[in-house]
Amino acid sequence: MAAVLPGQVLAIPVRRRARPNRPRRLPESTWGYLLILPAVLLVLGLILYPVVYSGWLSLHNKHAYLPIETFVGFGNFASMFGDGEFWRSIKLGAIYGIGSVGLQILVGVSAALLLNETFIGRTFIRGVALFPYMVPTVVVVILMKWILNDAYGVLPYLLKSIGIGEDILWLDTGHVMLTVILISTWTFFPFVVIGTLARLQTIDPELYAAAKVDGAGVVRRFIHVTLPQLRNVLFVVILLRFMFMFTKFDVIWLLNGSSGVGYYTRTLPIYTYIKTFGQLQVGAGAAMSMFMFLMLVCFAMIYFRVFRRDEGL
Amino acid sequence: MIDIDWRQVFSQIALYFGAGLIAVVCGFPLLWMVLTSVRPDRDILSPAPKFWSFEYHWEHYRNLYNLTDFHIYFFNSITIAGTATLLTILVATLAAYGITRFRFGGRETIAGGMLFTYMFAPILIIVPFYILMRSAGLVNSKLGLVFAYTTFSLPFSMWLLRAFFQSIPIDLEEAAMTDGASRVKAVALVIVPLALPGVIAVSIFTFIVAWNDYLFARVLINDNELKTLPIGMDDLYNATVTDWGMMMAGGVVITIPALVFFILVQRYLIAGWGAGAVKG
Repeated sequence: MAAVLPGQVLAIPVRRRARPNRPRRLPESTWGYLLILPAVLLVLGLILYPVVYSGWLSLHNKHAYLPIETFVGFGNFASMFGDGEFWRSIKLGAIYGIGSVGLQILVGVSAALLLNETFIGRTFIRGVALFPYMVPTVVVVILMKWILNDAYGVLPYLLKSIGIGEDILWLDTGHVMLTVILISTWTFFPFVVIGTLARLQTIDPELYAAAKVDGAGVVRRFIHVTLPQLRNVLFVVILLRFMFMFTKFDVIWLLNGSSGVGYYTRTLPIYTYIKTFGQLQVGAGAAMSMFMFLMLVCFAMIYFRVFRRDEGL
Repeated sequence: MIDIDWRQVFSQIALYFGAGLIAVVCGFPLLWMVLTSVRPDRDILSPAPKFWSFEYHWEHYRNLYNLTDFHIYFFNSITIAGTATLLTILVATLAAYGITRFRFGGRETIAGGMLFTYMFAPILIIVPFYILMRSAGLVNSKLGLVFAYTTFSLPFSMWLLRAFFQSIPIDLEEAAMTDGASRVKAVALVIVPLALPGVIAVSIFTFIVAWNDYLFARVLINDNELKTLPIGMDDLYNATVTDWGMMMAGGVVITIPALVFFILVQRYLIAGWGAGAVKG
């Protein structure tokens, strides 16, 4: 690695040339704009413009392939709010979002606390704990279908052999929501571990020493020393996790697709996809995307307001 | 008499038990995938799973190569993810450098606005994105996917690199420039090497985003010759009577590049978290 140290730089002999006739350089601000232009163009063109376009589409009745395109005002939204399936997808989305984020935080923070302790093989276990996050989603889902398979799956077999989980069909209608929450927790909790662990490592050990001197036990040290230090990190992590889980498509879709079982995990992103690419109603799909988008913005604003007040983030 | 601190002993036991639990929960599924991929079918399809069986073969990997187009998907994924990674590094480095080294109006607004788009999930814009790509003639093309992945990893990448550039004293490059180096040279030889951990973190992040993506590839690609691994694998799974051994072999092949990439740069990624992704 060719890291140049300050000393080395200064050791280069001075070769300053006077260039009297050289025209003045471009102003500083022009350089700034030029350098940032490609990034801004990409984000504007491929993220922000689609969001605006989505707003326009949501006001139109548009077919995915046929040249049907009529202005319907808020008609798409009206029929969306009148659609029982839409409300059902919101409810399932809330169960999935709250369930999986809650479990991820619980498991992730516990694991981070444990991995912050000193024990033999810590580096190895830390590496292993991040594995699930690195496995591509499609592999996670197919692997879990194999592990949970009702005839040959290893997990049902193990559970039966210790006498619990008799006849649980993990991938059937009754349990599929629980299963998809557990699978999501398995693959995404390392995200929480990474963030929490990074923060835990920067907590001043003297804080614990002082608390110990004051006679605080393990639990009280956690509540009064660790938790306040973790607040900011958890704030960001919960916010991001909730936003990601609320809009999660691939795990759920890969598990069930548009199959009958999939009806029991048809959250808003899945329903949006089915409306757009299955039923080919682009306008209706765009209306649901816009609704999702607005919900996320509202959620973020409330969240920021509540936590910012006493945190000064 | 030896004085045993039973509380100490108990907490040590709990600690190792917890560590073991993490290892099993996170590691066992992957171990099981690897084991299944090298086992004969008669061991795979037995109602009582075999934990200790020492009969292994490479049949499933051979089948994967000979009977499916998996190698085509693999090649597509590598080229698309690789191109997107290079493009992201280029664009994000330019932008982060511009933001940290030049003063201009709206600088902070632009930086903050970019980060805000990090929260946008692909599902929110997939509908207009598809229509946009269709009218640009980029449906069923690798270029369309490269643009999608580059754009979606840009906000985070730029933010991360910004944090790294901010931590490099401006004096360093000024010294180099005073010594006669051009600005380009100063950046290439002084700044980028110092920000290397950031550049590496960005490359892993983008590569993984592109390598894992399912939604964009599903919507934009129909042609079998252009499929990436995630949709190719999904279609293989849905097309046939599931050949579990072969599916697990496919899983191993898809996972290895991501895992290798990750292990190589793990500490940089965690450093990146500390530096930029999480404030405070």
